[in-house]
Amino acid sequence: MQLKIEMAVYLLLVAVSTANALDYYRNKSLGRRLASIAKQDPNLIHVKSIAQSPGKRKVWLVEVGQGAEADRKTRPAMLLVAGIEGNDLIGSSVTVSWIEHLFDQYESDNASTKLLQTTTIYVIPRLNPDAAERFFAQPKFEMSLNSNPVDNDHDGLVDEDGPEDLNRDGLITWMRVEDREGDYILDPADDRLLVKADALKGEIGRWRYLTEGIDNDHDEQWNEDGPGGVNFNRNFPYNYEFFAPDAGLHQVSEAETRALAEFVIEHPNIGIVVTYGAADNLLKTPEAAPSAPAPSGDGRSRGRKPTPAIDQNDLPYYRVMGGKYREAMGLKKEMEGVSQPGTFSDWMYFHRGRLSLAACPWSPAIAVELSQASQTEEKSEEGDSSGGGKPEHSKNLSDKSKTDQEKHNEQQRKELKWFDEHAPEAFVRWQPIEHPDFPGQRVEVGWYRPFSHTNPPAAMVEDIAAKHVDFLTKVAQQLPRIGIRKVEAKHLGENVYEVKIQVENTGFLPTSLAQGQTTREVYPTRIVMELDNERFLSGSRIMNLPTIQGSCGMAEVRYVIYAPNRAGIHFKVVSMLAGQAEGTIELVKDTASREPK
Amino acid sequence: MNQQMGLKKFITLWFFLLVILPPARISLAQVGERKPKADDPAEHTFPALGASAEQKVPVAWNRYYDHAGLGAILARLNEAFPDLTKLYSIGKSSQGRDIWCLEVTARDVGDPNRKPAMYIDGNIHGDEIQAGEVVAYTGWYLCHQYGCLEKVTALLDDRVFYLVPTINPDGRDFWIHGGQFARSGLQPTDNDRDGLMDEDDCEDLNGDGFITMMRKKDPQGRFKLHPDYPKYLMVRAKPDEPGQYVLLGWEGIDNDGDGRINEDGPGGYDLNRNWAYDWQPNYIQYGAKDYPFSQPETRAVAEFVLAHPNIAASQSYHNSGGMILRSPGREGGPMTDQDENVLKTIAERGEKILPFYRSMITWKDLYTVWGGEDDWFYAGRGVLSFTNELWTPKNLYKTADRPSDENEAEFVQYVLLGDGAIAWQEYDHPTYGKIEIGGEKKQWGRIPPSFLLEEELHRNMAFALYHADMMPLLRISSIEVEKLADSLFKIWVAVENQRLIPTRTAQDVAHHISPPDVVSIMGDEFEVLSAGRVIDRFFKKVQAVKRRPHRVELDTIAGMSAAHVQLVVKGKGGFTVTVDSAKGGVLTKNATLP
Repeated sequence: MQLKIEMAVYLLLVAVSTANALDYYRNKSLGRRLASIAKQDPNLIHVKSIAQSPGKRKVWLVEVGQGAEADRKTRPAMLLVAGIEGNDLIGSSVTVSWIEHLFDQYESDNASTKLLQTTTIYVIPRLNPDAAERFFAQPKFEMSLNSNPVDNDHDGLVDEDGPEDLNRDGLITWMRVEDREGDYILDPADDRLLVKADALKGEIGRWRYLTEGIDNDHDEQWNEDGPGGVNFNRNFPYNYEFFAPDAGLHQVSEAETRALAEFVIEHPNIGIVVTYGAADNLLKTPEAAPSAPAPSGDGRSRGRKPTPAIDQNDLPYYRVMGGKYREAMGLKKEMEGVSQPGTFSDWMYFHRGRLSLAACPWSPAIAVELSQASQTEEKSEEGDSSGGGKPEHSKNLSDKSKTDQEKHNEQQRKELKWFDEHAPEAFVRWQPIEHPDFPGQRVEVGWYRPFSHTNPPAAMVEDIAAKHVDFLTKVAQQLPRIGIRKVEAKHLGENVYEVKIQVENTGFLPTSLAQGQTTREVYPTRIVMELDNERFLSGSRIMNLPTIQGSCGMAEVRYVIYAPNRAGIHFKVVSMLAGQAEGTIELVKDTASREPK
Repeated sequence: MNQQMGLKKFITLWFFLLVILPPARISLAQVGERKPKADDPAEHTFPALGASAEQKVPVAWNRYYDHAGLGAILARLNEAFPDLTKLYSIGKSSQGRDIWCLEVTARDVGDPNRKPAMYIDGNIHGDEIQAGEVVAYTGWYLCHQYGCLEKVTALLDDRVFYLVPTINPDGRDFWIHGGQFARSGLQPTDNDRDGLMDEDDCEDLNGDGFITMMRKKDPQGRFKLHPDYPKYLMVRAKPDEPGQYVLLGWEGIDNDGDGRINEDGPGGYDLNRNWAYDWQPNYIQYGAKDYPFSQPETRAVAEFVLAHPNIAASQSYHNSGGMILRSPGREGGPMTDQDENVLKTIAERGEKILPFYRSMITWKDLYTVWGGEDDWFYAGRGVLSFTNELWTPKNLYKTADRPSDENEAEFVQYVLLGDGAIAWQEYDHPTYGKIEIGGEKKQWGRIPPSFLLEEELHRNMAFALYHADMMPLLRISSIEVEKLADSLFKIWVAVENQRLIPTRTAQDVAHHISPPDVVSIMGDEFEVLSAGRVIDRFFKKVQAVKRRPHRVELDTIAGMSAAHVQLVVKGKGGFTVTVDSAKGGVLTKNATLP
């Protein structure tokens, strides 16, 4: 009887959580949702498909900004990409929330209205619809690959060994096999968990730990070549790992990644990129590159090498953004960042010179950190100094002597504890099964539900989305922005004038990062005058400006021109990332400076 | 007596006048009007060694062809040799020109899709045009000599050639039809970062059909006419000597008013830096574009190569310099000793076939290349690959040393009778004022003159054919059966590779690029109990396979060696042994259990 009630409660919870999975968008629902938002103001929100996946699903692009496309393309812009691995549906939900927030605020809030008149926002809510759709599949199966058939294990067969739902619970989880060949033991602290046996402690491995399924191709590896595919966040050229099983046959090999690459190339006004995925450079400020070595004497090889880390001059901006991010999330301290070879975010910085932020939208580690932070807050509020002091202190001491493995084991326990408290249904209890590959051996299926480590419990989505929306709006306000501070024309005599133009950057970021200069991908800001070259006694019709720092940094250009029969000269300032500005030089024979119109 | 003598003389004279002279006079009259018949000379030929005796598709190999011309040659070959050729497009260039591929093999011998294949292309840099002719000549030669020369017949029976004369047809046509800088593909690119694309190209200001150089008489100039070759050469004035001219660069004007001339012509990238292995962006490697295979031309070739896993050898043609280049393109790039030994052996043969050509490692002996075609073929696909830089001026005088500028001027004057030089003409330039325009025809320097072109084509082809000949050639050389007991047998299969190149290179094996070679056995009335690779055939050491004993996987069958496989079977009757190698082909052999 007891067991039956337990089972009933368990099934109810499963049903509830499955029902709440509707808070995450299926691809078709996502499309419809975006279309319905766009319909509310087609002048402001534009939706189109930029690619089709191998599974024949569309990749949507949303453009938010007022006015004609030609104008939007000249404004400073921010790009937000989510669902790049595809298994983080929370990312897509956050993007939709943000688009809705921008739209809501557009009419009501002056600052937001101005933002969307002078900035363009590009959003790709989900780059990998094939992977995301597996959240809704039967059985539910988490992976970060698209549906392109790939020979992941290089054995000449394609997609021949995928997972199977052996316990028929509609989920692909993990299995543990009692086997002397195994490397794992049950965690003495909690036998739901497995930890690697530490030979130095005399621990003897007794369990194998594999994904749920059978060895279809009899190569003694389980489920190593399932359906699909390529992980888009390994498919970009910076630090690309050739021959990695999920990186594709070569860089930018997939229709989806190619569409994103071409989009970015055709929209050079993008100055900031935010990518939601597994990589993260906001939880912790990344390391700077050591100062560049002097170029080698061998002229032939040119001495240029790939940049190993963020340029020192760009690092302060990453630090500031990281601080804003942690503040928005409620994190009191830095955590570990995550980097992978071949990510989209790295390509955007290291090869294209844009400020490129990467965030993992949610993880159990973040959840644990936030709840620990709130606990210490509560404790200090309660004034319990003796209780709160010592354990922290002793913990810090022993932290230094712990190995990486021990830290990992501890983190695993903390996370399980968090799930027990906040989302107990996330852990599937271990169930014994008969396994054809291990006759006569004890085999159990269980572990966390798929997607439970990359997506928060449904009840928390709204709150988490709100925090990200807050951060994203702040990010959009950091773009560089040029304006004309002063225009002066002094008549020197006989229609010869000395002209001075001051251009300022009222945004936060500079008109180009150092990496933008190094890569030469961010073109210099230029002033173009509507006056023939012959009329310039000093200076020329097109002049390039140096990089202009943000927060009202300024650059000045001077000319000496000969301009008979001209009352005014029109000019334009064009910046790749900081927008455009126009002005007119009034030529008056008495010397007086003019403020810009 | 005197009367008789007089009569004789009289008769002789009249005999001469009446009988001998008239016919002679008639023949003398006809000599001026006789001519030979104006037949087609091709019908009265005696073959020289080299080209085939019969030429079903006559092609003049002492001139160059544009994209349509090369296409026409391939089309005629395809029409004339339907049993040896297939012709198709592997994709289109930026401007929509087809990239043609002529597939050459004996279509009725073996399976054309499974024979070891050699991929040959040329002209990735648009101005390196003779590469196109080398590849077309290869197709022409192979088709015509099949059935005439034993070696060619064997090559086409056992191998397949994928011949792609030009993989940059846009650049080729642009250069041939008047352009000057055509190394790049022709997708519009903003070279000078001013927001405009391709806005300032060279111009043929004086309308002579060539883009040449501009110079201006200037006492402060540091150049002067060569005292011995004033028509052809300029030299630097000595440091303490006044000069005569300042050099102004290539013919053109400042189209976009930015103070620079010809700084942003069509294109502006390098297709041979757009390949995926060891690719680096523009600021590290000029011309790489935004990501590998971003360009339709390189992507078309990559897709073709990925779809043809039987490709076991690759050759590209460029100009110039007289080089046989191999990977790696950058210091520290992938290359194993085993693979390099094979490449060196083939390249050394090449140095003998191609006088004055040198076998070189790209990064070490030439310069660093990130994202080049050779590296993708070798490091990315495990295929041994060469790039030849065609033509060296050492060919002008057949000397081991490069001819001097004066030697070259002499060549132009005395061997070419001035063809190649363009006399300097006056011109009134909007920026520079009174200048002179002239210099060399663009056919001078990197492409051979007509009478040296065919030699270049044939010798380079011969090198590629040698490389092709070295591709794996597998034979099931023996099947030995030993009876262990009633219905229990031990079978040893020997598979030999009669050529130098292994079925899978070391790079291929290390990264599992192509599937392993499989030796399998099938019989109606038997069962394989165990199977293994023979590690030592004298001491009979066998490494058993763990699963699926009816098929034994081999990492590779090395060049000039044999692999042995042991199968222990129970049963009776006949059986078939099959060897399936991606680059070695498929072979079967039948045998019977005793």
